[in-house]
Amino acid sequence: MPPGAEPVKATLDLINQMQADGVIGKYAIGGAVGATLYLEPAATLDVDIFVNLRADPGGLLLSLAPIYDYLKAHGCPLKDEHIVIGGWPVQFLPLSDDLEREAVAQAISATVEGVSTRVMSAEHLVAIALRTGRSKDHIRILQFIEQNAVNREKLQSVLERHGLTAKWKQFERKFLDGSHE
Amino acid sequence: MSKREMRARLAALSFTEKIRILEKLRNRSLAFAASGMRPKIAETPGQAEDEKQRLRKEEK
Repeated sequence: MPPGAEPVKATLDLINQMQADGVIGKYAIGGAVGATLYLEPAATLDVDIFVNLRADPGGLLLSLAPIYDYLKAHGCPLKDEHIVIGGWPVQFLPLSDDLEREAVAQAISATVEGVSTRVMSAEHLVAIALRTGRSKDHIRILQFIEQNAVNREKLQSVLERHGLTAKWKQFERKFLDGSHE
Repeated sequence: MSKREMRARLAALSFTEKIRILEKLRNRSLAFAASGMRPKIAETPGQAEDEKQRLRKEEK
C-alpha cells in the first residue's frame, strides 16, 4: 500500500469522534465520494465534508480553527487546503447558504465498513453540482441522469426552492436537449 | 458485458464495496505518483512540448 493510502473508514471514524466531542455539528459527505453512494465509483483524491460549525459562545464569526486544532492534536497534517485524516485529504466546507444547510439537514445515513456516516441526497448533490458549474460537475450531473439515480420531481423541488430553475433549464438546453423526456 | 451494463453493475454495489474500489483507484494513483511513472503535468504549452520530447528520447 502506498504511503498515505488508508481506508476511508479511518477518516470517517475520526470525523465521527470529532462530532461526538462537540467540535462540529451535523455533517454530510458531498462531492465525488458522496456521489459514489448513487453512482459507479469515480477516481477522486479527496473527501468533501460539508459541516455545520458550532459558533464560539458569544462569538459571531464561524471559524474552521477548532476543527484544525482538534485534528492537528490527533496527528493529522495540513496539506494545502486539505487536512489529511487517516490518509485521505479532507476539505471541510462550512455551510454557506440555505441549499447547503438543507443538504446537510436532509442527508441520508449510510455505513462504510460498519462506520456510520451521512451523505447528501442525490438531488442535493446534483443541485450543488449545478450551482458550482465546473466541467466535472456537469459530467457528474449527466451520470446521475443517465443512471436514473436522481428523482426528477424531488430535484425540481430543490431547484425551485433555491433559485436554480433557470440554471437547470440552461443545463438541459445545453446537455439534455431531447434526451430527458 | 457492455460498458453500460458494467456501469450499472458497479452503481448497484453497496457503498462499502464502492468505497473499496475508490480506495483502490486512489492507491493506484498514489503508487503511480510515488514511482515517478506519471509524466510531469505541464503548466504551459512549452513545458508540454519539452515533456513530449523527453518521452520521445526515453522511448528511443
